[in-house]
Amino acid sequence: MNRLKREQPPVFPVKRVRIPEAGSFELNNGIPVFLIEAGTEEIMRIEFTFKAGQIKEYLPLLSSTTNMMLSEGSQNYSSEELNRQLDFYGSFFNLSVDKDRAGIVLFILNKHIDKVLELSREILFRPVFPESELNSLMRKRLRWFMLNREKVQNLASDKFFESIFGINHPYGHQVIEKDFEKIIPAYLIDFHSKYYTPDNMAIIISGKLHKKTMELLNYYFGDVPVKKRYKEGREKLLKGEKKKRVHINKPGAVQSAIRIGSSTINKRHPDYTGLKILDSLLGGYFSSRLMKNIREDKGYTYGISSSVSSLDLKGYKVISTEVSKKNCQKTIDEIYNEIRVLQKVPVEKEEMAVVRNYISGEMIRMFDGPFALAESFKSAWEFGLDNSYYYSLAEKIKTIEPDEITELARTYYNIDELYEITAGTK
Amino acid sequence: MVNFKKFALDNGLRVLVHEDRSTPLVALNLLYDVGSRDEDPSMTGLAHLFEHLMFGGSVNIPDYDLPLQMAGGENNAFTNNDFTNYYLTIPAENIETGFWLESDRMLELDFSQKNLDTQKNVVVEEFKQRYLNQPYGDALLQMRPLAYKIHPYRWSTIGMDTSHIENADLEQVKNFFFSHYAPNNAILALTGNITSNLALRLSKKWFGPIEKRYVKLRKLPAEPPQKEERRLTIEKDVPSTALYKVWHIGPRKSKDFYTLDLITDLLAGGESGRLNTKLVREKKIFSEINAYITSDIDPGLIIVQGKLMKGINIEYAEESVNEVIGSLQNSNGIKDEMEKVKNKFESASVFSNTSILNKAINLSFNELLGKPELINQEVDEYRKVTLEMVIEAIRRYFIPSNCSTIYYKSTRKDK
Repeated sequence: MNRLKREQPPVFPVKRVRIPEAGSFELNNGIPVFLIEAGTEEIMRIEFTFKAGQIKEYLPLLSSTTNMMLSEGSQNYSSEELNRQLDFYGSFFNLSVDKDRAGIVLFILNKHIDKVLELSREILFRPVFPESELNSLMRKRLRWFMLNREKVQNLASDKFFESIFGINHPYGHQVIEKDFEKIIPAYLIDFHSKYYTPDNMAIIISGKLHKKTMELLNYYFGDVPVKKRYKEGREKLLKGEKKKRVHINKPGAVQSAIRIGSSTINKRHPDYTGLKILDSLLGGYFSSRLMKNIREDKGYTYGISSSVSSLDLKGYKVISTEVSKKNCQKTIDEIYNEIRVLQKVPVEKEEMAVVRNYISGEMIRMFDGPFALAESFKSAWEFGLDNSYYYSLAEKIKTIEPDEITELARTYYNIDELYEITAGTK
Repeated sequence: MVNFKKFALDNGLRVLVHEDRSTPLVALNLLYDVGSRDEDPSMTGLAHLFEHLMFGGSVNIPDYDLPLQMAGGENNAFTNNDFTNYYLTIPAENIETGFWLESDRMLELDFSQKNLDTQKNVVVEEFKQRYLNQPYGDALLQMRPLAYKIHPYRWSTIGMDTSHIENADLEQVKNFFFSHYAPNNAILALTGNITSNLALRLSKKWFGPIEKRYVKLRKLPAEPPQKEERRLTIEKDVPSTALYKVWHIGPRKSKDFYTLDLITDLLAGGESGRLNTKLVREKKIFSEINAYITSDIDPGLIIVQGKLMKGINIEYAEESVNEVIGSLQNSNGIKDEMEKVKNKFESASVFSNTSILNKAINLSFNELLGKPELINQEVDEYRKVTLEMVIEAIRRYFIPSNCSTIYYKSTRKDK
């Protein structure tokens, strides 16, 4: 046998991702349903999503508590019975709430769909918010809250959102200990009746679908009554705080947490796809500039990353890391340094090629299998976008030039406008 | 059903392939049969540090990540007590790049002092971030030497102390590589959009020329049976007091494994587990409580850990845990609960096997146990567990003399 030359085998350009179009129809009461047929197993992921996130709350903790209390007892089942039955049918469910939306995601075996949909209807539309369950949930949550206040990552992140979105805006306001005493069932009932309604929601289903699936959905959810839409007051102003650099003292912390970033454009803006690519170069993957410099060259940290995220009203970008106190300032200086380099020096062709191919591979992973497909569908749909958003991202990955990266870095990473939050020992 | 084929190369490398045409990707998993249990007690944390070094370039490839990303791939790795596992996913058309990368670092690493120094720092920061700078982060680090006196499970994968990592030198690192990283000490699994023919051809091409290496036979000291209960109290500035209890169990391959795993699910699987229902929801003794079994290959542990609600006496909390465990012996309603837990295992297995990466890791691990077909049989193993087996296991394992307990007490006034 000839001696093998250990040279890199030919690399083929990553194929353009193929995204199946979601089907859609409406239930009798107008609830939109999106269907994504995928996968080989007899399973489904069903997401019920409502515009019922933090943005809608008039009291801190209201949206998350309403969401977490959904499975704590309904008209026909106690909390214990609901949980026992969902477990019994081998389903997994996640209640979730974020800044804009709230809802539930269920993973189910197709053979139990009938029963699980019946239980979901109880959870979503017939919750009773019993006081004793609420009290014990709030006691538990207070404990978790106190625990999280011990972690420098959380201290820095909470302060970061408060700083970039404003102390009084629902995107930014911080929870305090006293907030846990204020929540009573009446608020939850009110919040639920306003926002967990057919005209404020959608159902996204993916997996191996059957004709019966649609019939069952209509049977269980098609007659949920549509109420008169709740008229909202004017939205609060989104405005960052004046103070750009904040340190939170946490005596005894072994590491300091750093968050650097600001609010920015969201997915609806034409520059967003380019900003995503810039963000990857800076700190979005293993061979990014920040990882190479701060972890792989200097060994200051276990991990450093940057990310750009979209919210309904705005987006935000943030660079996050935890480092030893003695390396904290050096790390911050290096972060700004890397940003300055991206603003001044055009990215070399080779590095552009790596990031192009890496993100192209990521895009294939984003659409691989029923669960990933549903998540990607939702994260375009909730901004009123469709697959053309992903196709324009794919196009941008192929065509973006180094000059455009430099330009984007100047426009969106103006160092004077960035917030710098640290948490750790003084 | 996960259909797979198995081959062995002349150099001892075992290869498992599962074809799944529904994805455009391939997952490649390479498991090395070396973990923290194979470390010298004076050099703990080396297996995990070594995992970091594997990304610092190999003999023909100066940078591992760059060409992988260039081919649209993504990768990561983890180390535990028993083995070290490297994996990547990549678009099918570029799978050969994965073979090229993984075989080169099995062939030989490019050991550099600079890379070693950097990764030592990175791992020390990881130690701090995950264990030292988190409330209760060190609890299980302290539990190990309480539960194990002799067996290397007495230290955790991150190591006994950061100084062991800081002291590692290039010579030790090289020795570690050549005595554990070898085709005859590894398992390769490929899942996804790849045929077994192609997988075999590429395995032979890239891994075939790597020569068999001498791997020292594993001779680990057996942990003697625990004779009396062990206790430790830690006092720290944490928000609330926590309770940790562990019991010794048999090895991963013992017949009791599935019974014991099922017991931990009766106790803490899902919202409706007994510990949660009784002690969190009804009695409000704990704010959260969990029970699980370590999947260690040598005799492992059952772990119960919970955080107490304000003002609860820890002895009372501990007693309540014992009571709930004991209650599993009363047959009231337990049949339904067992059925529930078994259904949950079945669906967890179905959901886990929707991911090609999970399938690749599961196949490799089951091959390490010597039974790759377990990937399709485990649900039945759980189905076979009877109430009598549960009762017998509780009486045998959950006894005070087999137990180690940590009271992790909060020093705050308002605890």
